[in-house]
Amino acid sequence: MKTTGIWVAALCALACAEASAFTPTRPVEVVVHTGPGGGSDLLARSVAAMMEKEKLLPVRMRVVNKTGGGGAVAAAYLAERKGDQNTIGFFTGVWLTNPLVSDKAKVTLRDLQPIARLVLEPALIAVKADSPYKTLKDFIAAAKQKPGELKQSGGSITSRDNVVRQLLQQETGARWAFISFPGGGERIAALLGGHVDLMVIEPEEAGQHIRAGNMRVLAQVTEKRLAGFPDVPTLKEAGFDVPVVPQVRGVVAPPGIPADEVAYWEEVFRKLTRSASWKKFLADNQFEDGYQNAADLTKFYDQFTSQMRGILKEAGIKVVR
Amino acid sequence: MDVLHGLLHGFAIAIQPANLLWCFVGVLLGTIVGVLPGLGPPATIAMLLPLTFLMQPAGAMIMLAGIYYGAKYGGSTTSILLNVPGESASVVTCLDGYQMARKGRAGAALGIAAIASFVAGTVGVVGLMLVAPPLARFALAFSSPEYFGLMALGLAMVVLLAGRSLVKALLSMLVGLWLAGIGTDLFTSVPRFTFGQLELLSGLDFVVVAIGVFALGEVLANMEAAEEDRVLPVPKGLRNLLPTGQDLRDCRFAFVNGSLVGFVVGVLPGAGSTIASFISYGIEKAFSRRREQFGTGVIEGVAAPEGANNAETGGALVPLLTLGIPGSSTTAILLAALVLWGFKPGPLFLSDNPSLFWSLVASMYLGNVMLLVLNLPLVPLFAQVLRAPAFVLYPVIIGISMVGVYSTGTSLFDVGLLAGFGLLGYLMRKLDYPSAPLILGLVLGGAMERALRQSLMMSGGHLSILVTRPIAATMLCLALLLLAVPLFARLNAWRMQAMEEEK
Repeated sequence: MKTTGIWVAALCALACAEASAFTPTRPVEVVVHTGPGGGSDLLARSVAAMMEKEKLLPVRMRVVNKTGGGGAVAAAYLAERKGDQNTIGFFTGVWLTNPLVSDKAKVTLRDLQPIARLVLEPALIAVKADSPYKTLKDFIAAAKQKPGELKQSGGSITSRDNVVRQLLQQETGARWAFISFPGGGERIAALLGGHVDLMVIEPEEAGQHIRAGNMRVLAQVTEKRLAGFPDVPTLKEAGFDVPVVPQVRGVVAPPGIPADEVAYWEEVFRKLTRSASWKKFLADNQFEDGYQNAADLTKFYDQFTSQMRGILKEAGIKVVR
Repeated sequence: MDVLHGLLHGFAIAIQPANLLWCFVGVLLGTIVGVLPGLGPPATIAMLLPLTFLMQPAGAMIMLAGIYYGAKYGGSTTSILLNVPGESASVVTCLDGYQMARKGRAGAALGIAAIASFVAGTVGVVGLMLVAPPLARFALAFSSPEYFGLMALGLAMVVLLAGRSLVKALLSMLVGLWLAGIGTDLFTSVPRFTFGQLELLSGLDFVVVAIGVFALGEVLANMEAAEEDRVLPVPKGLRNLLPTGQDLRDCRFAFVNGSLVGFVVGVLPGAGSTIASFISYGIEKAFSRRREQFGTGVIEGVAAPEGANNAETGGALVPLLTLGIPGSSTTAILLAALVLWGFKPGPLFLSDNPSLFWSLVASMYLGNVMLLVLNLPLVPLFAQVLRAPAFVLYPVIIGISMVGVYSTGTSLFDVGLLAGFGLLGYLMRKLDYPSAPLILGLVLGGAMERALRQSLMMSGGHLSILVTRPIAATMLCLALLLLAVPLFARLNAWRMQAMEEEK
């Protein structure tokens, strides 16, 4: 009886939501913090294509690139759009990490309206195929022998690449250099050219280089082995008990939008993550389904932020908030 | 034989009516995007990406690549006519192209830009077809120390861009280097020279500075001479508008130089077409017999950089297609397109998808021909723009500049910056400071600083890494040599003078 009551209430809530339904009336602006071709930009464009294919949105999505400041520019742009009904943004973990180290970032992810978490991107730790290091243990041992002489290529210091390095350094006491390259292509080129010894790379990026025999994977930064890499140990299996830091991507909206609009977007993205196109997209890119609704996402912010704060402090990076 | 077989197969696909149409659509769109300042190929390709999901991948790739190299053709138009660089790679074209237009040779400049683009664009495709895999290995040999050498060589070009005073040119370059430092530092995430402005966190957009300093500065300086309201001379008749046989002979070396420099620099993922165009202009000037006339409207000064930025396209596709490594935002979005169509770009892409590769190569030969046929007849049409009197032309230039800048980032802050840099350009003209070195510093500064700091991180702080690696050392030596040339020239002049006096 009681459950029926809940069902009725839920149905009513749904129906009521339908009745007062908000729907976007003009093309939706999707704000991303990377230029055309960057990670968030590509996700946004893929999502736009899937929305159209699955007929989930009555209007089109238009990607707007607001680059710079590790997401600060895009976040500020969204905050300026307070109450705007036709704007959403795609965030990554950098939007949480960056404000920790930059006091110039006036707007944090907490100032925006959470909608949904979408994907978790796992990572691999890779070396060049002719590298002397057959396992991650080999690499760590070599790094211990000549502290600071081995090198890793990666993104900015707040990127996941560096976080993985910091965690491994803290765990083992080994030390190696981290060299920032602005573009993903340059990071791979530096590894394949033998100019650096190691990199953290996304599975899809690495796949072709592994098949071609240019690259070898030492470990995967995941809780359990990826379907595409059944023979590669996870960090824990490789003997390193460090927290797994996934790259997280999700959706936010400008602050101050009405509750029915939040519900609308939550529902659209929930439906998207249940669709066949989405499953194929995840499989093609070897991403993990990271769906969380707005309430869970807020909890995730806290957990992620405190974890990152600790990691950055340990790494000797100045934390400003 | 493999190449021939592949190419024939590629032509068989590229010549299908649908693909020919897509090729034409691509190069036409590219030309338009190139002519309009601001809106560049990456944004255009990104906008069209959703449409391509309904197309055959070969046709889609042919079209998107057409936009990429077509834009390089169109970019020179506004540089030559209005001193407004249409694309970042066309900044150098302003130097001699605009001066040619002021002398009534706009048609010849536009014509030679199209011809040089065609020659070098085709050489670039030949390079892509024949030497892609070995060159990709060469590209991997390049890392931060080598890039630092390359950028230093580029900066040394300042002696060639200097007007009467080398000191003023160097000062101008230093301001450019400082401007390049504005924004968030990659290595420490610390904002530099942003003055609390959120908009400056991503650094200055190079196009904003170039359009401000070149176009607005020029307009402001010209407006001063209010009494001189003469219309620029434009000769009548197609024959008088196109380059002459003498022009083509003058450009022989520029064609070769532009093609080779453009292609080789294009192959390097960390360089880019703007750098290619600057370097080929520098080489052209350094080896020219009429070096002192550069900057006053010399036709080779248009042919070399225009050639280089087109050959760069073929080069940039080498690491993209053979390694899956994109070197610029345009190639990054092409890479994304390949992934979205279900391909796996990377080292096996060529062997897995030979027909896509060869149809792309074949389409690029056809596309370059189309662009030549499309652009040459447009020359007289575009040249007529200059017939407009100053009171029409100047507001149009200012309008185009503002729309162009606004369209790149839809930010009014950028339009304000444009006005500021316009004033700077005006002041520099009044005080006789050359503006090209400032742009050179801005283009190279960021990449050069990154390369230096990456190199030092690689070597654990030892500067020796810059001279112990052969490619880097060679390029640094060349840069030193280039810097020393004017000193020798001066020394020589002084010695001659002394000998004269002795007699």
